Amino acid sequence: MLLLGFGGIWKLQHRIDGQRAALYQEKNDLVLRSGPMLKLMSLEYAPLVADLYWTRAVQYYGDKHRRGDADIQLLWPLLDIATTLDPKLIVAYRFGSTFLSESPPRGAGRADLAVELINRGIHANPEYWRFYEDLGFLYYFHFKDFAKASAAFLEGSNRPGAYIWMKVLAARVLEGGETRETSAFLWNEVYNSATNPDIKQNALTHLQLLRADSDCEQLTAIAAEYEKRAGKRAGSVRDLVNAGVLKSAPLDPVGFVYVFDGEGKAQLNPASPLSQQKPRYLKPL
Amino acid sequence: MSRVGVVAWNTFREAVRDRVLYNLVFFALLMMAAAILVGQISIGIEQIVIVTLGLSAISVIGSLIAVFIGVGLVSKEMDKRTLYALLAKPVRRWEFLLGKFGGLLLTLAVNTAAMAAGLFAALAYVKHPLVRSDAVVLVAVYFVLLKLALVVALALLFSCYTTPLLAILFTAGLYVSGMFVTEMRGFHSEAMSPALQTFLRWLSYLLPNFENFDVMGRAAHGEAIPGSLVLANTAYAAVYCVILLTAAAAIFSKRNLK
Repeated sequence: MLLLGFGGIWKLQHRIDGQRAALYQEKNDLVLRSGPMLKLMSLEYAPLVADLYWTRAVQYYGDKHRRGDADIQLLWPLLDIATTLDPKLIVAYRFGSTFLSESPPRGAGRADLAVELINRGIHANPEYWRFYEDLGFLYYFHFKDFAKASAAFLEGSNRPGAYIWMKVLAARVLEGGETRETSAFLWNEVYNSATNPDIKQNALTHLQLLRADSDCEQLTAIAAEYEKRAGKRAGSVRDLVNAGVLKSAPLDPVGFVYVFDGEGKAQLNPASPLSQQKPRYLKPL
Repeated sequence: MSRVGVVAWNTFREAVRDRVLYNLVFFALLMMAAAILVGQISIGIEQIVIVTLGLSAISVIGSLIAVFIGVGLVSKEMDKRTLYALLAKPVRRWEFLLGKFGGLLLTLAVNTAAMAAGLFAALAYVKHPLVRSDAVVLVAVYFVLLKLALVVALALLFSCYTTPLLAILFTAGLYVSGMFVTEMRGFHSEAMSPALQTFLRWLSYLLPNFENFDVMGRAAHGEAIPGSLVLANTAYAAVYCVILLTAAAAIFSKRNLK
């Protein structure tokens, strides 16, 4: 009887779930948006509540990211509350700034808020040098403000435990502005330090696009040289291989052969997954 | 064994026999297990969640035991009429109260130690090996115990002259008030008279300051707690408990038990 009863409950619940899914409307809202008020109400449990808000921010972002929904308006209030409740919650500042700064649909496209969040992190944890790295990163990639980026790297390099390359980076950014090498160095640093798979994958895609960009530049130059000598334009990479200019057809980082456009410029193969990713990412140099 | 010790030991044994205690310990261990799961659905806070959830569980469960059993320490003995048999023996009323306080404190210490062991087991599970800085969690657990001692003393004081329900309300009220002492001290408003501001300032020093024992954030981030603070908090809790227990003994001594 019991088994039969629970079997019936199981079937009924499935039916109810189906009906509820059809009626489902997203109800994402925050009843309380004031971090200081929540801190008072949390009594001594503010650090635990901060963890819950951070987890909610991660789930909220992950859910939106999975569904390709670019409307991430609640992300900032969630991060604001989490970091107000626990100003030492380093992870919320660092990952939060990534979620905020990346362009939609991978993030909120609010690099200004990301800078604000990192500055708050610096205010609460002035000795943590990685925040300066993140700040420099934001100024470098999102605002192209190389003076501020360089200043952030330099400021961070004076903090305890900072890596020596922060000083080098400060000088390089100030002198050369945005270069492929500097961008690759920064993304490589993100890739190596990230523990979250999504952020690691994001950095890897950026690195792959930078490498593809470099390959295309070289291929275009080789094709131009070939056109000058042979008197005809290479229609494909295979033409360059057949002519003995290249030993083999170079592949992009995910294994697809590059192609040439009508003007003889090398570009990613439209069949390559990187080609679809490119417009959604920051435009590499 | 002294008379206070005998009362304390029997209070402890009675509490251990009480199944509610076992359920609460089991609940605390369940919370530790939940902490591990919560860590899986978030990013980069696995260890922090273990510490904050573990310390919160220890604090909440300990407070519930301290308040609900604390207010029943005297009234239960009176309801069961065992108090009269006990006081007919050469046991002074203040000795009885002190014994009850010590017994419940011992129960809480054992309970807290068991929960702390669970917390460290969970911490070792997600972060191996444990490092020296993790010892700060032990300090936080000790501070929770100091806080619980104050709560028991408050509950005992109120249970000496009022009903258990009112004693619970008064204890809980003072506990919550004691979490806002800093706000009370720093609260300034133009509409408020200087006399009221002075009164609030004095009141903030009279109320038990439970904020003193709040080091959960530091413990979660592995930040050291100075030894001087440990000593000062220990002294604060001890002095405040002495005041409360003296007041409780004075009230209980004059109470007509007929």
